[in-house]
Amino acid sequence: MPLRPLHAALPLVLLAAPLLANDAGGGAGDAASGDRYAGAVARTVTALIEYSTWPSRPNPLTLCVAGAVSHAGQIEELRLSDGRKAVRRNVAPSAAALGECEVLYLGNIGQPAMRQLVAAVRGKGVLTIAEADPDCRSEAMVCLIYLPAGLSFQLNIDAVARSGLRLDPRVLRMARGGS
Amino acid sequence: MSAPCESALPTLRDILARVHLRLILFAVILATASLLVSGALVIRNYSQRNLDLLAHTIGYTVEPALVFGDDQAVREGMIKVGGVVGIDHIEVFDPAGRLVAEWHRGHTGMPQWLAHRANAVIWPHPSVDRIERGGTAIGEVRVFGNAGGLLRYAISGAVIALCCLALTVIATRILARRLQQDVIEPLGAVGTLAHLVRSERAFGRRLPPSGIAEIDHFAQDFNALLSELEGWHAGLTSENAELARLATHDPLTGLGNRALFERMVGEAIGQAVRSGASFAVLFLDVDGFKAINDQHGHEAGDAALREVAERLRASVRHVDSAFRMGGDEFAVLLGPLFNRAHVDAVIERIELAMGQPLLIPGFGDASLGLSIGVALYPDDGVSPQDLLRRADAKMYKHKHDRRTNFEGGMNDA
Repeated sequence: MPLRPLHAALPLVLLAAPLLANDAGGGAGDAASGDRYAGAVARTVTALIEYSTWPSRPNPLTLCVAGAVSHAGQIEELRLSDGRKAVRRNVAPSAAALGECEVLYLGNIGQPAMRQLVAAVRGKGVLTIAEADPDCRSEAMVCLIYLPAGLSFQLNIDAVARSGLRLDPRVLRMARGGS
Repeated sequence: MSAPCESALPTLRDILARVHLRLILFAVILATASLLVSGALVIRNYSQRNLDLLAHTIGYTVEPALVFGDDQAVREGMIKVGGVVGIDHIEVFDPAGRLVAEWHRGHTGMPQWLAHRANAVIWPHPSVDRIERGGTAIGEVRVFGNAGGLLRYAISGAVIALCCLALTVIATRILARRLQQDVIEPLGAVGTLAHLVRSERAFGRRLPPSGIAEIDHFAQDFNALLSELEGWHAGLTSENAELARLATHDPLTGLGNRALFERMVGEAIGQAVRSGASFAVLFLDVDGFKAINDQHGHEAGDAALREVAERLRASVRHVDSAFRMGGDEFAVLLGPLFNRAHVDAVIERIELAMGQPLLIPGFGDASLGLSIGVALYPDDGVSPQDLLRRADAKMYKHKHDRRTNFEGGMNDA
């Protein structure tokens, strides 16, 4: 199948963000639970939502979390800087369950399932974030990468272009600068 | 013009050149300074706006990177937007005051101390842009201006001003030279001519016509004045000559007077001393003149004196001169002589001439006798006084002898 060439063609961009350095000491609970990336993930997700624009301006946003997640411990109710809120909803990893999602946070559900879900919401204005796909084969818009220095993420420009969302060009440029 | 006291005064050309130079220097410096200052102000104003705009743009650009907490992206976005000419350095802080990223311009081609000094003077405060997101500050951008551009503007302006100054100095010289040709040289010609007229009495010289109307009028008037001066000078000269002649000549007979005689005796002595020649002085006294005066009146006496003078003049050689000393006394100065015989020959001619009867118009004939005294230089004296005294004495002796003879003759008859 054209998977491999498609992947090769995907303009994946790496944004090295030493988020952990800022947030590592932020939550005692995180340190206690052993998840040193939870705060950074929550912050990154919040920033990505803030710099994304939906065709209608939903408030509150529905943040669907699909499958088992390891670093979404601090994603509960995210407060955006413009006053809006993003509310977490745990959903089953099936296309039928994604009707009201503005953001889809993909847990560790395996490559085929991830790709299926991403394909299901493509062009429908859903921000897709893959928690456990460092090589970004799922074709999600954002793939989180866990580095010793901190949290980082890749932007899949192709997916962003086909998402039906508008991502702030500064985020794109910022990401390109890191490529 | 040529006198030493006048050379200390500045010349018209110097004054004109100096005035022109000062005027043009003043104008150029004024124009340059105002242009430089206003240009610098305008440039600084625009640079200030540019800095503000840049600070804002950098703030906008690095805002997502600050939100994501990506210091590297902050730094890269900052350099991409802000690393342009006119910026000295940029700093980005987070709300806690931590320096997230900074950038410094490297060497600008200017001395470091000069750049620092200029930056401190021209851009004492940075342009600050607060980065906000949803009403909360998430960071701050500070952009410090670089005064290099302004400095280069000022330096190039100063260099151009200097070039302009040099050009104007040259132009002033050319202008002064042209002025000198058109104005000062004709005036100089007037001065030279005036000096010539004063020192050499060159009244015949005239100024040439000039190409400038005022100077040409001036030259014409000056020439007319010279013509008048020439006329006056000629009149004065002839009057002076007449006065001098009157002072040394007897108006009745036209012969030299006593003053002239004494002067000429003095000159003759000087000449004789130099040449070694001798000369003689004759004193003559007309006998019987008083009788004519008494019998026929002064008019007849004057006529008789004129006749005597005429005969005396005719009798002496051209190197000799006859004088009327006053009354009926005459004198003759005999020029260079070789021996006494010359003197005797002259005396003989005089006596012969006087022996003729005197015809006085309207009064008839009269007879006059002549007493003559001779003094020879150097035999009878070497000073004028001695010579005159000796001649006088001899003349009186001669007169006395003649009177005695005449009276004796009368008695004999």
